[in-house]
Amino acid sequence: MQIRYKPRRGLLGTIFQVEILQGMGLTLKRLFSRPITRQYPDERPRIRPGFRGQHALVRDPATGDCKCVGCMRCAMVCPSRCIRIRSHKDKEPGSRRMIDCYRIEALRCVYCGFCEEVCPVNAIVLTEVFEYSSCDRTSLYFTKEQLLSNWDRFAAQLDMPVDAYVNPFWRPRGLAERDLPAPKRLPVPPEWSGEQQVVGRQWQRHLPPEHA
Amino acid sequence: MTRPIAKNMEIPVADGEGERYSLRMGPQHPATHGVLRVDLELDGETIVACTPQVGYLHRGFEKLAENKTYAQTLILTDRLDYIAAMANNVGYCVAVERLLGISVPLRAQYIRTMVAEMSRICSHLLWLATHALDIGAMTVFLYCFREREILLDLFEELCGARLTFSYPRIGGVRQDVTVRFIDELQRFLDIFPSRIEEYETLIDTNRIWLKRTVGIGKVTGEEALALGLTGACLRGSGVDYDLRKHQPYDAYGLVDFEVPLGSDGDIYARYRCRMEEMHQSERIIQQCIDQLPPGPIFGPDAPDLVMPNKAPARIEAGTNAYGTGLIKLIRDRNLYLTGDVYVATEVPKGELGFYFISDGNNRPYRMHIRSPSFIHIGALAAIAKGELIADLIANIGSLDVVLGESDR
Repeated sequence: MQIRYKPRRGLLGTIFQVEILQGMGLTLKRLFSRPITRQYPDERPRIRPGFRGQHALVRDPATGDCKCVGCMRCAMVCPSRCIRIRSHKDKEPGSRRMIDCYRIEALRCVYCGFCEEVCPVNAIVLTEVFEYSSCDRTSLYFTKEQLLSNWDRFAAQLDMPVDAYVNPFWRPRGLAERDLPAPKRLPVPPEWSGEQQVVGRQWQRHLPPEHA
Repeated sequence: MTRPIAKNMEIPVADGEGERYSLRMGPQHPATHGVLRVDLELDGETIVACTPQVGYLHRGFEKLAENKTYAQTLILTDRLDYIAAMANNVGYCVAVERLLGISVPLRAQYIRTMVAEMSRICSHLLWLATHALDIGAMTVFLYCFREREILLDLFEELCGARLTFSYPRIGGVRQDVTVRFIDELQRFLDIFPSRIEEYETLIDTNRIWLKRTVGIGKVTGEEALALGLTGACLRGSGVDYDLRKHQPYDAYGLVDFEVPLGSDGDIYARYRCRMEEMHQSERIIQQCIDQLPPGPIFGPDAPDLVMPNKAPARIEAGTNAYGTGLIKLIRDRNLYLTGDVYVATEVPKGELGFYFISDGNNRPYRMHIRSPSFIHIGALAAIAKGELIADLIANIGSLDVVLGESDR
């Protein structure tokens, strides 16, 4: 497709500066419409659910500790290798693996959310908190205690019960229940679980023969 | 002839008699779109020789990728062309899928096409904004960012990030689209054509804009091909080359769109091409919304994020390990094929190619990125030669370079 140019400026357009006045008119019109600028520190931006922000370890209400089972999947999948986990298991049969140390270097993290997605027990989460910049590095090397308190702070500002909170990366939208391990089969609305999908109006009409 | 400006310090003044001086523009120059340095040899204001210097933003992605699994390397592609990260992600995933022989469900293909075109609009809006700002039109910058903000909000709704999306995954996408996302996208598409008209009202026939763009930075079709230009820079010179049309990937073969072509090959032609491309992108997104089929968002053979080091092996039944002294191992599933592949996709800047060599491991033996910005910066020397230094700014803007992609 050959692109078309607008017609060349005529003599009258040159003399009366029509195209410049049109542009000026547009900006003048905008002067009377509502501004779209958000005055950030005073006016809070609307953060969408599932925003990948500050890290937290979910506090298990039953034990008061984190849910992590020390499977190391997050540390293995992390592209920037910013997760360090140390754990031990007691000799007695049936004892749970205890997490001694869970550290995240927030300065190295790239916020991809892979750790949340692979965690089999939904222990780690990237919360919607985004204002945690700091002037010293040490406060951004999150320890296990800091990560748990991050979750407490986030849970306190949630407008829903903590048990009802489901992060979109714990259970990716559109993923069938059978593809997930048991702890990740969280109760979600039908649109989320893939039972009820958004479908285009003419989805059948343009399907190629091999897909029809 | 020299003119003293301070004690023991003199600068040469161009007097039109062939006296040359050299000037280093950048890397902190605001109009070089990042950290590009251009070593100029000037005669007065005319550029005699121009040598672009890159490498200030080198992060070693190609080497880093050799130590990361295919799934992990995805996050590096966010940081190539960071203003259209989604298009890079899609290009990378398409390449890895072809390397490993993974099929993508149709729904995921449509979603990917949709987000790649959204990212094309994002990139062209930022290009128009900064290009106009370089040339001297401040207002367009603010207007373009208004629409870009809507798209970034939509990306945030979809995948939880505004810049580094990491949204597609090998064999599909990570999250399904929501009703709210589709509704908001439809609302954006409804207003977007009128917004493009606004930009055109501001600059399309503006005499200052025309003075700065028409006839400047001319490249003929043959020259453009010889310099390796791709994308709108090549199409502005009238060469019909668009990988979406000529080597369709994802759902581009199923949607209807046209490739805008210029003829003059100057800055204005490239500008018109990109404006027209935004209209075409809007058409593609509309068709993707209308034709979005139901189905899974990633295929059954899509690899897990934790990619196993090697495909699981077992000992073949019937072989006697003790008798022959040899154990015959069979791979259960040929998860990682060996071989090499070059796959190119059409990103907003041009042709983004990924070249992989796979040795059957879960990480590439070698990954090479053919980034359009790098090639375009190389072409800058030929395009800017003989023009004025003020037009160099317009030329850099018009080639649409992003240094994150060029330096990798």
